[in-house]
Amino acid sequence: MAGQGIHRREILRILGSVAAAATFPGFSKWGFACGHVGKSALQIKPAEYHPQFFSPSEYAMIERLSEIIIPSDATPGSKEAGVAEFIDFMIANDPEQQYPFRTGLVWLNGHSERLHGKRFLELTSGQQLSVLEPLGFKGKARPGEEPGRKFFALIREYAVTGFYTSEIGFRELDNPALKFYSESPECPHKGDPEHQHLPPPKS
Amino acid sequence: MAKQIYDVIVIGTGAGGGMAIKTLCEAGLKVCALNAGRRLDPGKDFRFHRMPWDMKFRGLGDPKGESFGYMDNEYTKAAWDHEIPFTVAPGTKWFWPRCSAVGGKTNFWGRSSARFGDIDFKAASLDGYDVDWPLTYADIDPFYTRVEKMIGVASTVQNRPSNPDGTYLPPFNFRCLDYILEAGCKKVGVPYLPDRCAQLTQPHEGHPACHYCGECTTGCDVGAFFSSPYFLLPQAEATKSLELRTNALAKNVLVDENGQAAGVAYIDRNTKQEVEVYGRAVVVAAGCVESSRIMLNSKSRHWPNGIANSSGQLGRNLCDHLYGESARGYLPQLLGQSSFPDHVADSTIAWMPRWQNLNHAHEEDFIRGYSVYPDGGCSEFPWFAHDLDGFGTLFKREIKRRYPTPVTFGIQAPTLRSDKNYMDLDPEVKDPYGIPVARMHFEWDENTLKMWEHSKQVCAEVLKAAGGELEGSGDGPEIPGWSLHETGTCRMGNDPKNFVTNRFGQAHEVPNLYVCDASVFLNCTDKTTTISILAFTLRTSERMIESFRRGDHKAA
Repeated sequence: MAGQGIHRREILRILGSVAAAATFPGFSKWGFACGHVGKSALQIKPAEYHPQFFSPSEYAMIERLSEIIIPSDATPGSKEAGVAEFIDFMIANDPEQQYPFRTGLVWLNGHSERLHGKRFLELTSGQQLSVLEPLGFKGKARPGEEPGRKFFALIREYAVTGFYTSEIGFRELDNPALKFYSESPECPHKGDPEHQHLPPPKS
Repeated sequence: MAKQIYDVIVIGTGAGGGMAIKTLCEAGLKVCALNAGRRLDPGKDFRFHRMPWDMKFRGLGDPKGESFGYMDNEYTKAAWDHEIPFTVAPGTKWFWPRCSAVGGKTNFWGRSSARFGDIDFKAASLDGYDVDWPLTYADIDPFYTRVEKMIGVASTVQNRPSNPDGTYLPPFNFRCLDYILEAGCKKVGVPYLPDRCAQLTQPHEGHPACHYCGECTTGCDVGAFFSSPYFLLPQAEATKSLELRTNALAKNVLVDENGQAAGVAYIDRNTKQEVEVYGRAVVVAAGCVESSRIMLNSKSRHWPNGIANSSGQLGRNLCDHLYGESARGYLPQLLGQSSFPDHVADSTIAWMPRWQNLNHAHEEDFIRGYSVYPDGGCSEFPWFAHDLDGFGTLFKREIKRRYPTPVTFGIQAPTLRSDKNYMDLDPEVKDPYGIPVARMHFEWDENTLKMWEHSKQVCAEVLKAAGGELEGSGDGPEIPGWSLHETGTCRMGNDPKNFVTNRFGQAHEVPNLYVCDASVFLNCTDKTTTISILAFTLRTSERMIESFRRGDHKAA
């Protein structure tokens, strides 16, 4: 592969300049997720996050839902990337989305009670998934659950956005954006222009 | 104290204004340049390699704040002008981010830099629609060559009938997706070539080479692509012949007792006071529409309908590029492959230059032609994820698997000149400084919409021929204005009854008034406008210098 990526922070250090990082004080996991853990001179202590918009019980649902959408498995997920904090912060700043989120959570609790006699967070993990699968998979959709599908699509969009705009999300994709190269990166498989015979992907 | 009289007052410091300022200053003329906004500080106003998590709203911007689009975002918001409104006539939609900072949109532009050719200048002779340009390719060719040397354009000699070749820096290397799509294009019989990109693949004329970080349209901190503040204004300032006044919002051109240009009245946005500056000649280079707005607002005893507007054509003949996603899908060949830095030019590495109506003007069911910009691969954000199904570990794994694979095809199609498309002054709405605002009247024409339909079909074929999976296309074209390639409103032509400016961009009726932006173009062609604004302005500026040498432009 042409060119070696140099991490931008190293370049900035070389240039002797510092990008003005956002200093919004309310985040704990953003600092944790986005700093260079163990290397940073200014280690930010993880603190308890105080939701700005959601009530504590609502926020617990946002946390759980975002962790189900992008779980921590072989690699870190929403939990490590602080996705619930992102969602709370964005919704706190977006009056238009507050009603859909709040009513969506109410719907989900009511629906959980109809199906299993308990609120969403009181269900077992298996029950939670059985409630969410018809909302999140097109092939499993059930009639009468349109409001839930709409809400799930909404929170999924926020979870995806929050996760893949975090440093952990960048690492998940090995995201090559904003790195520096000495020459324009070139396809490494020029002998196979149609790319029909690439080595099988690493699992 | 005698009032100070400059040789030339230049309104605007973008591609046109910047080139005029540099050329005039280097010829020893005293120039006063007026710029509606402030100077930018790349460290603060550009993205400057900030990551999404460095930003309060992850680069997405405050949800409560208004945004005008992809370049005007959280990283660069302060560089765009949100204060001067415009209005639209009933039925018109117009999307119009404006940058009035020093250098204007050259700070953030897309950098595609193809020359216009005789197929464009003589299009009317070929297909019978509208009129030919009042010049030929031979007239402008040497100016393109000089501009390419000045700014550096990466491409290859391609021998395409619609695209005259120039002098180029080494092209960008092709990425995996380029080789795959190139093979698909070959099967379908359409071209797939390196774009003409004003982005420095090697150091050039004292400017550093690109470092391929891919954030060009949020500003280049090292000036590795052409922009007026990096490539033109420093040379002008070095001559000591330039006085640049910032936050100076041009209001109208002042006239003498003979109705000739005598200077410019502007609003100092800091003091909100009106100020007058005087010159022997005036260059209007505020950007298409904005230049016409200033000229229409220049009403006087001599010019009741706006300066140099006896023809009534000022503001008329607005053209624009139709933009839209002709096809999108993914390349299964790349599923699960390692990520690759595909996003190093932030818009243009390859293009599919016009292939329609080349042998005969009426081969297709539309006239003229369009170009397509294909792109894809690993982008900063995996937008395709929103269209995938499900959630959980498999969803997360599928996003990673699909990450290197998405491709899109973006059309760039010109509208035809139409009486329906124009700008005028809103009779009621004024900006915060009391100046009547521009009112837009615009709709896509049938010919352009046929190109859009045609492109959807061809791009789908290309994607399939490349072994790709087609997933769809845009629901419709983008809103007019989106491309930021508006042209016309002050067109050049030999007949003063039908054209505001002559073939040098000089107002027929006011010879010491020049227009140096895309408003003099007869239409927008299938190519982008900036390199042509630079070439036409270089030609106009040298014409103006000749006029000064001959003594044509005297103080009022």
